[in-house]
Formats: sequence, structure tokens, C-alpha cells
Amino acid sequence: MKPFALRDLVDDRPDDGVFRVNRALFRDPALFDLEMKHVFEGGWIFIGLSTQAERPHDYFTGFIGRVPIVVSRDGAGELRCFVNACPHKGVRLVQKLCGNARRHVCPYHSWTFDSAGANRNIKWQKNGCYSPAFDEENHDLAPVARFGEYRGFLFASLKADVPTLDEHLGEARKLIDLIVDKSPEGVELVPGRVCFTYAANWKMQLENCSDQYHFTSTHPSYIRILDQRAKEQSAEVVRSSIGAADFWQEDASGVTGGTMSFDHGHVLNWGVMPVSAALPEFEHAETWARLHGAAKRNWMFNMRNLTVFPNLQLAENASSQMRVIRPIAANLTEMQTWCIAPRGESDEARSFRIRQYEDFFNPTGMATPDDTVCYEEAQLGMAEQDRPWLQGHARGLTASVEGGNDYADMIELRPARSVLADAQLCDESLFGSYYRAWAARMAGVLA
Amino acid sequence: MIALGQVEAAALLYREGLLLDRMDFDAWLDLYTPDCVFWMPAWRDDGVQTVDPDRELSLIFYRGRRNLEDRVQRIRSGFSVASVVMPRVAHMIGNVLAEPVDEGTTRVDSSFIVNVHDVRTNRSHAYFGRYEHDLVLHEGDWKIARKVIRLMNDVVPTMLDIYGV
Repeated sequence: MKPFALRDLVDDRPDDGVFRVNRALFRDPALFDLEMKHVFEGGWIFIGLSTQAERPHDYFTGFIGRVPIVVSRDGAGELRCFVNACPHKGVRLVQKLCGNARRHVCPYHSWTFDSAGANRNIKWQKNGCYSPAFDEENHDLAPVARFGEYRGFLFASLKADVPTLDEHLGEARKLIDLIVDKSPEGVELVPGRVCFTYAANWKMQLENCSDQYHFTSTHPSYIRILDQRAKEQSAEVVRSSIGAADFWQEDASGVTGGTMSFDHGHVLNWGVMPVSAALPEFEHAETWARLHGAAKRNWMFNMRNLTVFPNLQLAENASSQMRVIRPIAANLTEMQTWCIAPRGESDEARSFRIRQYEDFFNPTGMATPDDTVCYEEAQLGMAEQDRPWLQGHARGLTASVEGGNDYADMIELRPARSVLADAQLCDESLFGSYYRAWAARMAGVLA
Repeated sequence: MIALGQVEAAALLYREGLLLDRMDFDAWLDLYTPDCVFWMPAWRDDGVQTVDPDRELSLIFYRGRRNLEDRVQRIRSGFSVASVVMPRVAHMIGNVLAEPVDEGTTRVDSSFIVNVHDVRTNRSHAYFGRYEHDLVLHEGDWKIARKVIRLMNDVVPTMLDIYGV
């Protein structure tokens, strides 16, 4: 007996112009447990960048759903990903976030593993009176079922029966290219990780990244600061990139951006940003046009919020952020966030990028707190049961078309659906892609 | 040599805490020099704090009081939902150690606990860590030229603003 039916949770009737999500998706603990098993532990998940373990024997740790993992570069230079638990008693083997080690020794009974995950020692094995059955067991660290890399972005799946990583990422690869191609040396994480929690469901963050509608409503206090700083033009105030763009200004005319949805739940929300000194990237504007062509260069300057379903968000707007969503409970989410930057950029560009990042993205800044507080206020409202259907996925339904548009064509991007928008359209239909991918991963447990 | 003594240095830190507790932001801003540095470093994955705010990330970093004024303006604007129902805070500062650096500059190390009660959600949280204040004689008054906030529990529940550390 399956406890939930998909039709009760996601009301997806394109022919009737209806796409609705039930509040239960945000609050139900039983549904949350199923999500952890089937969405996060049952398919491809982003786990980190290859630059987080660059040299032989470098490692970093993290989680796939609730399962601790370690990504280790072995002595031959190959990256591997294991469940970070000793096969002996299940103790988490590696406690540090990152480091370099040829051997990992379990703190509990000293079972020892090399950087390729092979068991190198079981303490006092000869005197252990083990049975032959034990000796026949594999005592190495358990590799994850699937592990793959796309241009330095590492993904893993605890379930083996999943599409290839290339199939999973699909067209989203071209959007990752726009970030990685900013430097011939690729991208790196600026040292300093910022972690915060909020008392609401993980899908609040999932949607918010792609939600153009909220910007002028949630962030007027920040926008006022931007306006003021733009007028002041003094060296003292933090310079702003986003203030120079008009994709979010209500009086902007014409196409200012739009959305694209891709297979497997990846979505892009984008806005036109001029190629100008308002972005730290400007120092590369000519080089990029020469290397990649003007169209791709211009896209590298556009505001782009990309979600790679279900847990990676790459936000290129006021600065450049890599976010990883880690659900803890139906009403609690942990966010791991980094500034992601092209390697080899000038000191001035790096410092400019960092300053804008802190003000906009940090939970100690002037924008994100207004988002996270709204998530929590939404979580309170999710308790309503009599009218379960949210009305937050309906904007843009009649503007959504199959395939791409002229802007997508510029970089040969082939989305499944797209919306071209003026500043006030603020498409919500792209969220449908999240819930269809969610439903696909949950298909086995939903009636 | 003009130096600020232990007692006077501690008093300045206590006053700063009191002004934040009272949300008396104008008087708080007035404790800082116009070219002050206000810095809360982030933590790196290798377990040390970031040291170069121009190449590494901070939780908060400003050069110039003008940017702190922006923070205060946002809090007071009425347009920040995170600042509509203001949390209540109480700063506790201890282990104050003042050392004169040079003529007119005193370096002060201290420990802090800031208890924050989020009225909106009825949740309380304590932020704790260490402060480093560089106090300078500025136009006849001792002011804060540099404040470093070394936040130990840096996983931020929902939000953290300037009055919470």
C-alpha cells in the first residue's frame, strides 16, 4: 500500500492550464523520508568540485542525502567516492571537511584504508578467530554506485540504475560551460565556506533561486541601498553589479530575460546584463569574445540562476555563488555556500566579486536574511490543510513554449521549454520542471 | 605616551555592547572612525579562519563606516522582513585584555556571548567568539578603528545582523 498518490500532491494538467503543488510536499515528515531515500539517495546528486581534492591523497567529505561520503584522490591521481563509514561498526571514518592522507584509520578500532578505499589493515586479524565466511567478505570502503565528473563538477548516485551523468545533466552542461569557460584554468572556490540553516522545507530554497517574482518585493531594503550607492559613486561604498542591470526594474521594456527548463529537473532563470565594468568579469570581455564568440561572451555576462536538480544552485547575478542544499527535516534545511570564481582573475576583480557576494548572498548580509525569513513564514502557512493547493506555480503558463528561442539559439541551447519575459512576467511555470523530476524520482513509491 | 588603560578600554567595549543591546545605532556608529574596518572572517574547510579579506570570503567585511550606515539604514527601513520584528539581544563581554600598540592606539582582545531572542519565531540562540578591537584617539575621543569578530559557532540559524554579534 503506497501512502501517497501523485495526483494528490502535484496537480499537473497542462491541457486545462493547471499546475498546482500541494502544501503537504513542504510539511509532511513521511513524505520527507521518502524524498530523502528516493530523490536524494536514489539519483544523481552534486557532491563538490574536483578542485576540492587536487593533489594525490587529497580528500573532502560531505553527504549524499543522509549518508556520509568521502571523495578521495588516490595515489595515481584518480578521484573516487566512498561511503564515509568503516565497514566494521559503521563509524564515520573521516571527520575533517578536507585534508590530505595516504591512510585513513578508523578512530574506533583502527581498521585502516588507503586513499583508493582499499582495506590495508584489520587490527590483530590473525588472532581474531574470524570464520572463513568473514575472510571472504570485502572489507574495503564501499564505493558509491555511480560517480562522475563534468568539467570539475562532481556528481554521485547511491543507486546504480540511473541514466549516465551526461544524460542526467543534458543541456545544463552548456550552462556549466558558461561558468567554467571564464578562465582557461577553470573555476575555484574562494576560501571560506558559509553555512546556514532555515526552519523550512528544502524546496523553498529550490524555488527561490529561480523565482524572479520575489526580487523587488523581498529585497526593497537592499535595492534602496544599491540605488543610493549608484548615486554616490564614492570609492568607499561597496560597488554593485546588479544595480546596473534592468532585468528586474518594473519599468524596463522589451525582453529582459526569461526562463528555460531542461529534462531531469534542471532550470534556468536569466536576465540581460550589459557587458559593462559593473561586473568583475569585464576585464575578460574582449578575450572571451575572441575565444568563445560574442554571443557566448554576452551570455557569460547575463544574470543566470541555474539549478541542477535537486541540490546544486549556481547563481551568477550580484556576484557568483555555488550553493548546495541539504535537507535535514521536512521543516529544516542546511545550506552550504561558496563564492565560485574564475582562476587567475586579477586581485581587483576578485576583491570586487567577494565584496558584492558578502552583501548579497551571506546570511549575515543584506538580502539572503529576507529570503530565509520568508521561507520560514511560508513554512508556517504550509500547515493549512483545507485548501491544500498552492497558487505559486501559475505565472507564465500561457507564455511557456516547447523548445528554445532566439536567445537560446545564440549558444545552441536546447531547453525542453522556455519563456521569454519582460520585467514583470516573472515566470513560475519553470518550477513545474522541478516537480516533474521530483515525481519521476518518487515514481516507485507514489500511487 | 597616550594610552588607553585596561579599565577605560573595557568600558568602551561595554558601551558598544550596551548601545547594540539598546539598538541605539546612531550612538553605536559614532563609536567608529570614518575609515574603520569592520570584519567578521569566515571559516575555511581546513579549520582556520580566512585571513585575507580581498582574496578570501568573510561573513562581513567593510572598509569605511559609511557601509555600516547602510546596514543600519536597511534595519530601520521598514522594507526588510528580517528586520520588521526585531530580535532582542544581550551582549556579554569578558576576558578583556588591553595592550598599548603605539602612541594613540590600543589593541583590545575580549570574549563575547551575544544571546539573541528571535521574537518572530520565539527561538533563542547564543553567538559566541572573540573580539579584537583597535582603539585610536580620533579628534580627542577614543574610537574603534578596527573590529574583528571571530565567530566560533558560524552555522547561522536563518540570519545574523550586525547587532547579533
